[in-house]
Amino acid sequence: MDIYASLLHGFQVALSPQNLLFCLIGVTLGTLIGVLPGIGPTTGVAILIPVTFGLNATTAVITMAGVYYGAMYGGSTTSILINVPGESASVMTTLDGYQMAKQGRAGVALGMAAISSFIAGTFAIVMLSLIAPPLANFALAFGPPEYFALTFMGLTMVTSLSGESLLKGIMSGVFGLIIACVGVDAISGAERFTLGNIYLLDGFGFIGVAVGLFAVAEVFVNLEKAEEQVFVKTELKLKSLFPNRQDWKDSLLPIGRSSLLGFFVGVLPGAGATIASFMAYALEKKLSRHPEKFGTGAIEGVAAPEGANNAAAGGAMVPLLTLGIPGSGTTAVLLGAFLIHGLKPGPLLFQSSPDFVWGVIASMYIGNVLLLILNLPLVGLWASLLRVPYTILMPLIVTISAVGVFATDNNIFDMWVMFGFGVIGYLMRKLEFPAAPAVLGLVLGPLVERSLRQSLTISHGDLSIFVTRPISAVLIAFAFLSLLAPVVRAVWQTSRERRGEAHS
Amino acid sequence: MKTSVRRLAVALGVLGLALAMAVGVGAAGFPEKPIQLIVHAAAGGGSDIFARTLAAANDKEKFFPQPIVVENKPGGSGAIAFAYVAGKKGDPYFLLTAVTSLITTPMMRKAPYGLKDFTPIANFAVDEYMLMVKADSRFKTMKDVIAFAKANPKKVTVGGTQLGSSDSVCAYLIEQQAGIQLNYVVFNSGGEVNAALLGGHVDLAVSNPGEALELAKAKKIRNLGVYSEQRLAGAPDVPTMREQGLDALYVQNRGLVAPGGIPADARKVLEAGLQKYTQGATFKKYMDDNMLSVAWMDGPSFGAWLEKEHGRYQQILKVMGLLK
Repeated sequence: MDIYASLLHGFQVALSPQNLLFCLIGVTLGTLIGVLPGIGPTTGVAILIPVTFGLNATTAVITMAGVYYGAMYGGSTTSILINVPGESASVMTTLDGYQMAKQGRAGVALGMAAISSFIAGTFAIVMLSLIAPPLANFALAFGPPEYFALTFMGLTMVTSLSGESLLKGIMSGVFGLIIACVGVDAISGAERFTLGNIYLLDGFGFIGVAVGLFAVAEVFVNLEKAEEQVFVKTELKLKSLFPNRQDWKDSLLPIGRSSLLGFFVGVLPGAGATIASFMAYALEKKLSRHPEKFGTGAIEGVAAPEGANNAAAGGAMVPLLTLGIPGSGTTAVLLGAFLIHGLKPGPLLFQSSPDFVWGVIASMYIGNVLLLILNLPLVGLWASLLRVPYTILMPLIVTISAVGVFATDNNIFDMWVMFGFGVIGYLMRKLEFPAAPAVLGLVLGPLVERSLRQSLTISHGDLSIFVTRPISAVLIAFAFLSLLAPVVRAVWQTSRERRGEAHS
Repeated sequence: MKTSVRRLAVALGVLGLALAMAVGVGAAGFPEKPIQLIVHAAAGGGSDIFARTLAAANDKEKFFPQPIVVENKPGGSGAIAFAYVAGKKGDPYFLLTAVTSLITTPMMRKAPYGLKDFTPIANFAVDEYMLMVKADSRFKTMKDVIAFAKANPKKVTVGGTQLGSSDSVCAYLIEQQAGIQLNYVVFNSGGEVNAALLGGHVDLAVSNPGEALELAKAKKIRNLGVYSEQRLAGAPDVPTMREQGLDALYVQNRGLVAPGGIPADARKVLEAGLQKYTQGATFKKYMDDNMLSVAWMDGPSFGAWLEKEHGRYQQILKVMGLLK
């Protein structure tokens, strides 16, 4: 059976009234879960496992997959509106999305996030249905040295997240790396900076730190301002809710690039949507003709990470379906759901359960369309939320954040982490340190460290392992290029200025 | 006189009735409210699936008159959940998933609580372990591995998770039995270990039959040996480690414990209800789907088993240098 026949058959399965209904339920729940900070797609899918017990396997997984990519859509909403990342893959969306909201362009940002998500999500599913098996082999070619090279390259992106002062950006990034050191070291089993506190054995929870640095800090900053302030005073017109011609022109290429990038990063087990969104943002800033606009409300800064995280969610389905290897926390839960429903995840899944695999893939096409239809009309509703006065909105943000952060691991300690980092984030804002590099360091720190130590364990301490393997060598070269580029540019510029002076 | 006899009779009658009622409450009263089942790991893992299957089966088969509510308290290799449940001393409305980490985590973290703070309720199953190589590996049997490792110390790489975990102990047992040295590479999760094996980045990896047999069927990997006393029914062609001259036995258990010092009759009710669960259809399907081996133990025998394993781990982890 060739791919098109299989896919057609998949659509027959996915379009049955029951599956269609549950796909709709899944993506709607996913959107909601994405909107609520803290409760991410992993928890959302896990909650559904017992609920879907009575359903057949295909319907159950269609619902849960819907929650997964639906959450990627919903995650952007609070990022843009109130600077609260709905889940970890939406942290980058806050940088420009929230600035756009402050300028009264929340609707445009939300609309572009939904459209970008739709295009990138659909692109990922097309790739998934056409070339999943060869892609799985690509994913397997990534060993510890390649992961190190990739994540090291990611760390060099700190230069593009820094804003005004490179030095302050690097300091913030190093702060993130230090925070990332807290917890049990997996390799030696030693406890690092846990101060004997069992809640620190796994380190600081990412969601607590991110929500603290962004959302709670924002509330603290706003406490200083006048009381009756309203977010957007301008009247919201329907026309201003949708992206204009210039927005489209600015966004189309970034969406295309971040779809590709996000998908390939998503395919790699151990990388995932959060890293994809970081890389897509940094890439667009590097390629942009006006990088200085990033962080002040550039539409590409919303389109790129939102596209990348959706494409990554589709990419993560590749190793799950072709090899039975989960590439992210959420796909690990999905794997558990496969087992509960009596499916045997592994390389034979495509042959042993074609109805299931192709039914789920086809449902993802449908789910993406449903999400677009669902999300676009909501844009106006969400945007009008910003007319709520600060005195009501701010306590609401703190409450929603606290509940969400608590719900991640049912742990009150995470809430104190959130408030603690809220204070740190406030101080950073006052001293003009950017928060994004700290979050980047926190996400990448453990990955860089682990893959470095794995590589050196395998090579018995020989550093040449990073440059003798082709993929790793290329990525390392890119990393140094991106590190040196600003220096080279600066040197070139000064020398040209000097030459200019000499001529005159 | 007559009245006093009558009074006495009435008094005795009331007393008897009261006694009967008291006994009745004691036996049939528990549980009067939902039972909380704390999972020591994140949602979606083996323990979580186990707990949620149990809770869902109870909704259908009603082996307890009250629902079981599952709550995940992940973190610190179980440390957070263990401390939480240990703190519920005497409260029979809490259950906790109990796998090997219940023994190893308190040991390695020098925690103020230990096995003595929990009441063993029952063990349900054990998960076996297999050692696998990539399909095109030069190693065909354990003899090949040992011969190569003897000639090239620390050159054979084995992928696994955090030191002290089941796979690290499995790797250690081979080293100890064969007198060889392997190069243990730590990964974040079992999924990443399997990916590294399939990509040829590590030579060996340890896995449960559920994953290992599916990969073997697709001819992606070969299983060199199983850490059980006898060959597994589902994999008769995979030899045991013992057959290959290595006295390496290892299983991961799936059981439940309650806080220490709960009333004896409540413990009995829990044990009886759970035994009923193991006879139902949901449990059988769960065991088949996850390729687990049945290993029912009631409270006292589970307790004895835990104690025995505790002694064994103390030895192994000490030699591995994980106990200070």
